[in-house]
Amino acid sequence: MLTTSDTTPSRSRSLTSKQLPKATPWVIAVASIIVAAGISFLGLGRFSITVTAVLAGALNAIAVFAISAAYEGRRKAVDRVATTVVSSTFVLACVPLISLLWLTVSKGGAALDLNLLSRTMLGMKGILDQQYVAGEAGLAGGFYHAIVGTVLITLAACVISIPVGVLAAIYLVEYAGKNKLGKAITFLVDVMTGIPSIVAGLFAFALFSTIAELVMPAAAGVAKTGFTAAVALSVLMIPIVVRNTEEILRLVPMDLREASYALGVPKWKTIVKIVLPTSVSGILSGVTIAIARVIGETAPIMVTAGFAKTLNWNLFSGWMSTLPTYIYDSQLRPVSPGDAAIASSERAWAAALVLVALVMILNLLARVIAKVLAPKAGR
Amino acid sequence: MFHVKKGIFVKLKHLAPSAALLAVGALTLSACGGASATGEDVSGEGDSGLAGTITGIGASSQKAAMDAWTADFVSANSGVTVNYSPDGSGAGREQFLGGNAQFAGSDAHLDEDEAEAAKEVCGPEGAFEFPVYVSPIAVAFNLEGVDSLNLSPETIAKIFKGEISNWNDEAIKADNPDAELPDLPITAVHRADDSGTTENFVEYLKEAAGDLWDAEVDGNFPKEYGGEAAQGTDGVVQTVSDTEGAIGYADASAVGSLGQAKVKVGEDFVELSPEAAAKVVDASPKVEGRSEGDLAFDLARDTTESGAYPIVLVSYHVVCSTYQDQNTVDLIKAWEKFVVSEEGQQSAAKSAGSAPLSPELRGQIETVIDSIKVAG
Repeated sequence: MLTTSDTTPSRSRSLTSKQLPKATPWVIAVASIIVAAGISFLGLGRFSITVTAVLAGALNAIAVFAISAAYEGRRKAVDRVATTVVSSTFVLACVPLISLLWLTVSKGGAALDLNLLSRTMLGMKGILDQQYVAGEAGLAGGFYHAIVGTVLITLAACVISIPVGVLAAIYLVEYAGKNKLGKAITFLVDVMTGIPSIVAGLFAFALFSTIAELVMPAAAGVAKTGFTAAVALSVLMIPIVVRNTEEILRLVPMDLREASYALGVPKWKTIVKIVLPTSVSGILSGVTIAIARVIGETAPIMVTAGFAKTLNWNLFSGWMSTLPTYIYDSQLRPVSPGDAAIASSERAWAAALVLVALVMILNLLARVIAKVLAPKAGR
Repeated sequence: MFHVKKGIFVKLKHLAPSAALLAVGALTLSACGGASATGEDVSGEGDSGLAGTITGIGASSQKAAMDAWTADFVSANSGVTVNYSPDGSGAGREQFLGGNAQFAGSDAHLDEDEAEAAKEVCGPEGAFEFPVYVSPIAVAFNLEGVDSLNLSPETIAKIFKGEISNWNDEAIKADNPDAELPDLPITAVHRADDSGTTENFVEYLKEAAGDLWDAEVDGNFPKEYGGEAAQGTDGVVQTVSDTEGAIGYADASAVGSLGQAKVKVGEDFVELSPEAAAKVVDASPKVEGRSEGDLAFDLARDTTESGAYPIVLVSYHVVCSTYQDQNTVDLIKAWEKFVVSEEGQQSAAKSAGSAPLSPELRGQIETVIDSIKVAG
C-alpha cells in the first residue's frame, strides 16, 4: 500500500481525502425535519406529524446522497444512503412501540389510583359513573378481581405447562435422537405454535363442557372456570416452552455429558445434575417469555372464564376476570352508556397500564434471571 | 466445574424467597380494603338467606342495565353471585338452549324452532320469556333555530334513502308549518357497524313507512342508500353534533342535548319519553301459538295508539319454566322479580337510560315468574 501510494498519488488520496465531518448526518437529519415541518405548515396550513415524518425521511435520504456525492464521491454517497435508510427504518419500527407506551402511560397514569387496585366491580352501576363524571364523587369500581384472576390463571397455566414442556424438551434432546416419535413431537409442537388463541379457548371450553355434562348433567354453566382458562392458556404455552427449552438444551456441550458418563454417572443423574443446571438460566428466561406471551390473551379467557365482576379465589368454580378481558369489557360495553362511558374507559386504560407493567416486569425478570444464573465460563 | 454448579443453586435459593415475597406482597397489598366497587364492605349487609350463582348469557344491549340490576340485587342478597356474559343475543339463546346458562338475554324473542327446542331443556312447558329492557331510539337532528321537528315515518324513510336532501323540502314543511326550515342540505348519519339499533330503526321504517323502505331488515345499514357512516353510537352522536343540518338515530340515553324529532303515530306527533316507549309494548299483540307464560311480543311498529313511541329496542329475558332443584327456582324467581320490579326498572332507567316497563305489564310478568317451579 505504501509503495503504491508513492507511484500513484491519485489513488491514495481517495482513501484519506475528503470526508464529511462526523456530525454531518445529524445536521442533515435535523435540517430535513425542519424543512419538512415548514413544507407541511405551508402546504396544509397546519402542522401534521405524518406528512412531516414522511417528507423528512425522503428529504433526508436525498440530501444525504446529494451532499455526499458532491463532496465524497459516488461510492461513499451510496454507503451513506444505505446507512440513512437502515437508521430511518429502525426509527420507524420504534414509532408504534413508543406511541403505544406513551398512550398507555399517559392515559392509564392519569386514571390510575390505589383504589382501583383494591376494588372490584361488585355493586358497580351506571349511576356511580354518572356521579363521577358530574364531579360529585370519586371514580368507583376497580380491577383487584382481575389482577387476582390474571395471577391465578397464569400461575395455574404455568403449573400445567412448565413440567410438560420442559420434560418434553428433555425427551426430544436427550432421548429421542432422530427417532420417529421425536420427529412426530417436533412436528406437533410446530403445529401447536401456530394455533390461533381462540381455538385453544374453544378447545378447553368444549373439553370441560363435555366433562361437566358427564359428571353433573343438571348444573348449568359449570364449565366456565379459571381452571378451564388455565388449560386453554397452557395449550398456547406448552409449544413455546418446548421450543425454548429445546434450543437451550441443545447448546449444552456434549463434552459435559461425556465427562459425566466417563465418571460412571447414570443418564438421569447426568441430566439432573449436569444438563439442567447448565441451562437453567436459559430455561427460566424462556418460561418467563412464554408467560409474558399468554398473560395478555383475551379471546380464550372470554370463552373459558366469562366476565366476572367480583373477586373469586377459587380456580375450580365460578367465573373469573383477567386484566385483558376486563379492559375489553370496560372499553366496549361501558357500565353507563352515553356521556359517562368515559369513566369505564378510564378504568380500562388504568388496567391496560397495570397489564403492560406486569409484562414488562416479567421481561426484566427474565433478563435478571438469565444474568444471575448464567454459568461462568471457565474458572 | 462442580463448584460452579453449586454456585448456581445457591443463587437460586437466594432468589426464590425474595421472588415469592414479592408475589405475595403484590397480592396482599391490594387485599386490604373492601373488595367492592365503592370500597365499602357489602358482605352481610343484606342477607336474605339466598345463596348460589346465577349465570346468564346474551344481548350486549342490556349490559348496562344488567350491571345496575346485579349491583342492587347482590347488595340485597349477599350470598348470590350473578354472572352475565354479553356475548350477543344469538349466542345467548344458543347457550341457554344448550343448557350452559340459566337465563338468556335476547333482543329478539325465540323463534318457533327455538321455542320447540326449549322444551327439551326446560320441560314440557318450554321457556318463559318476557321483556325486561325497553330502550327508545331517538331520531336526533342538528338544526340551528329549530327546537322541535315533526317527522312522519315516510319522511324519515325518504331522508335516510337520500330522496329528500334539503331541509326546506315540501314534505318536511307540510309536517312543520310553524318551523322556519333553512335552505340547507341534509346529512343523514347512520351506523357503520353491525348494530341492534340499526336493526330496530330499519324495522320500524320497513313496517311504518310501507313500501318506501325496500331494503332488507338487517343490523347493517343498506349501503346503496348512501349517507354518512359513523362508528358506534358515540360516533353517530358526535357526527350529528359536529355537522349543521345532520340527522341520525341513536340510543336515547346517548343523544344528550341534540334535538329529538317527534314521530308521527296515527294522527299525532309523539315526543320521545320513557312512558311513550313503554306504551308501544303494551299496544303490541303477543306472538301467537305460544304457551301462556311466554310473553313474546310482535312489536306493533305501525301502531296508531296515541302517545306510543314506536322506535324502540326491546330486550327479553328467557328463563326455563322448570328447573332441577328448589334452590335454583328460588334464585331465578327472586332475581327476575327484582329485574322487573319498580325498583329494578327505575335503577336501570337511571343507570342505563332505559324506559321502565308499565305497571300492567310488570303485573303480567310477575304472574309468569310466580309459575316457575321445580321439574317433576
